[in-house]
Amino acid sequence: MMAKGRLRPGFLVVFRREFDRFSRRRLLLFLTTVLPLLLMGVLAVVFSAGLATRLPIAVLDLDGTDLSRTIVRTVDATPDTAVTRRVSDLAEGRQLILSGDVRGLLMLPRNLERDVYGGRRPEVVFFYNTQTMTSGNLVLRGVNSAVPAVAAGIRLSLRTAEGQPLEAAQAALAPIPVQVNPLFNPTLNYAHFLLAALLPSVLQVIVVTTMAYAVGLDVETSHRLRVLRRLGGGLWPAMAGKILPYTLLFLVVLGIADWVLFGVLDMPLRGNRYLLILAGILFILADQFIGVLLALLLRPMASAISIGTLLMAPAFGFMGIGFPRIGMNAFAYHWGQLIPGTWYLMARIDQTIRGTPLYLSWTPIAVLVFMVLLFASLTALRLEVIRARRRPLPIQQTTVEGASE
Amino acid sequence: MRAILTVCRIEVARIFSLKPAFAVLIVASVIYAGFYPQPYRTEALRDVPIAVVDLDGTDSSRELARRVDASADVAVRAVFPDQASATQDIYRRNLHGVLVIPQFFERDLLHHRQSPVALYADASYFLIYQRLSGGVTAVARSMGAEVETARLIAAGVDPVLAAAAADPMPLTAVTLFNPQGGYATYILPAAFVLILQQTLLIGVGLLGTYRNDELSAELSASAGPAAVVGGKLLAYLILEAFIMSFYLIALPYLYNIPRLGAPLTIFVFALPFALAVSALGLVLAGLFRDPLTVQLVSAALGIPFLFLAGFSWPTEAIPPFLHAVATLLPSTSAINGMVAVSQMGASIPDVRQPFLILWALAAVYAAIAILLESRAGGRWSRHDGAQHAT
Repeated sequence: MMAKGRLRPGFLVVFRREFDRFSRRRLLLFLTTVLPLLLMGVLAVVFSAGLATRLPIAVLDLDGTDLSRTIVRTVDATPDTAVTRRVSDLAEGRQLILSGDVRGLLMLPRNLERDVYGGRRPEVVFFYNTQTMTSGNLVLRGVNSAVPAVAAGIRLSLRTAEGQPLEAAQAALAPIPVQVNPLFNPTLNYAHFLLAALLPSVLQVIVVTTMAYAVGLDVETSHRLRVLRRLGGGLWPAMAGKILPYTLLFLVVLGIADWVLFGVLDMPLRGNRYLLILAGILFILADQFIGVLLALLLRPMASAISIGTLLMAPAFGFMGIGFPRIGMNAFAYHWGQLIPGTWYLMARIDQTIRGTPLYLSWTPIAVLVFMVLLFASLTALRLEVIRARRRPLPIQQTTVEGASE
Repeated sequence: MRAILTVCRIEVARIFSLKPAFAVLIVASVIYAGFYPQPYRTEALRDVPIAVVDLDGTDSSRELARRVDASADVAVRAVFPDQASATQDIYRRNLHGVLVIPQFFERDLLHHRQSPVALYADASYFLIYQRLSGGVTAVARSMGAEVETARLIAAGVDPVLAAAAADPMPLTAVTLFNPQGGYATYILPAAFVLILQQTLLIGVGLLGTYRNDELSAELSASAGPAAVVGGKLLAYLILEAFIMSFYLIALPYLYNIPRLGAPLTIFVFALPFALAVSALGLVLAGLFRDPLTVQLVSAALGIPFLFLAGFSWPTEAIPPFLHAVATLLPSTSAINGMVAVSQMGASIPDVRQPFLILWALAAVYAAIAILLESRAGGRWSRHDGAQHAT
């Protein structure tokens, strides 16, 4: 339309120019590819074990009978716990917990066996560290399955000794058993679930800050912004040509991460994978526009990057993976709604482990579409304002031009 | 010594005059203090909504549903005629589980038969699953124990013995240091240490990469590289004395997080941490040389650093070689050590391993920083501060 000269302006010119930049600016290429892949790789290795098993606990056995030894053996045999230390008093156990050598202390009281068979109900006490919640809960689970198992054996023998038939005795042990069926995630693999949510969260910070940087380079002088628009032959082609190269690179990065998750680590992929890809594209676009807007609104570029970091680095907590959003206070709940990652992770969980039927999957996608459209329009608006401000005379002309595009 | 103090004075002034550094070191620290803890303020997940499908419709089944609803963990939000009706609400995240009480629930109980119930719990969010399975199982167990005791008493067994037969060896689980098992109490002390590290690291990186005319003039006059690094470290230490006491003592108090450690012990442990992070910041500044690079590269490091520390995810499950590499980060030792000192009341001898590692890191990074500074010093005198160009 506005084309003059040899170089035909348009989307492709800007698109190619942006790719050329990667060869000149190593930092940009490093930020868009090497850094996210490196960080994701580190996280994948952290969680590569998948399960935390045989966490060390200490035992204080004041009884030293067959029964107490059976309990220690049973606790040691659970997948969650391993009895690594024997201590002679509580102080020693406390010191081991403080230094992090063990995660809990099981105390078997004196005369345990005698009191159990005498019907005096002696208490077995397990001290565990909930300051480190994951390991605390895991060792508790181990002890919680082992000690009642030993107790059940005692109860059974008490009853059969009194002449109750074995079957009736067993039924009496747990009158109301609960069959707990985990929906959507039968293996209960926490590590892979957490990892699947962490990778986009890391990427989100990088997308926002990198886009603030990449666009900041063009906004630094008004001249460069005009050149960009001239090269693109209009507002929208220039914007698309500027943004899409990064979209593609980030998609490749996300694709590699997901290939590792679903291909190598065997995360279930039960939903519609096209919907998952669509959600991924929208998520990256929405985050990109946030970065672009920051660069257009805040000068110098360093502040745009700072604010981008400030907004996105703590976003993981607000997205409700570790601590669910239904438990948050009103501020955190609503703030979480403003983060594209919240909706992407919802769509992602829907299309991976939950296998949500298609007709129930559209809410997060629709929100992401809305976010992309909103942020893109705001970007266009802001660009028009910058242009109008720089050339104060032909204001009317500019608005007409903007409207026609 | 005089040179050190001069450098320190210049650097303290720069913290306040250099806008990007001030923004990260002070403004960001204050904003994070209010912003970061928000998702966890409620401490515990309560009243997870579930549906009940009561196929029995008797007094006993209604009693069970009532007790489940009354528990702190679970809330009964809907009653459905069958399980399929709840599916849609579960996919929509309105409900997170279904408790199915089968037909003949009461009759089986009265006939001294096992009378199982089924819980379908949303396991796509881990904490939700934990709450639901824990909450419902506890209710069913206590109701079951009552039933069993009542049966034994009805059969003529002495009530004390009946209780003993139902539960001959009770297991008491005692939580240490975080008695309510609160989520904020668990995550925030660790996160605060990480925030301290990240803001200081980026701030020092920015201070080291932006041009520093005043210092370069002073430098050529008197101070050697060691004095420059020493003076800067002293300046950051003065700043962190305020920020760290805010984060490690005032914030836990404001957010009602229990603190067992004495302030003095906390400060003693914080000293090598602040030094190690500051020195690492100087090293990064020497390597990156450009403030934007410092900002962009460190932006996304927080999340991986937290998990590398072996706090949220146990160290035992992290591959040993990666854990060894992670030891090079001050946060790895500082998070575990500081949580032990401040939340668990450990003494310095209890945490001597992380304490000594932090001192070693501080020494090594300071030495590298001096080395880089002496090289850069040569460059400074030749080009006279002309190195900064973006």
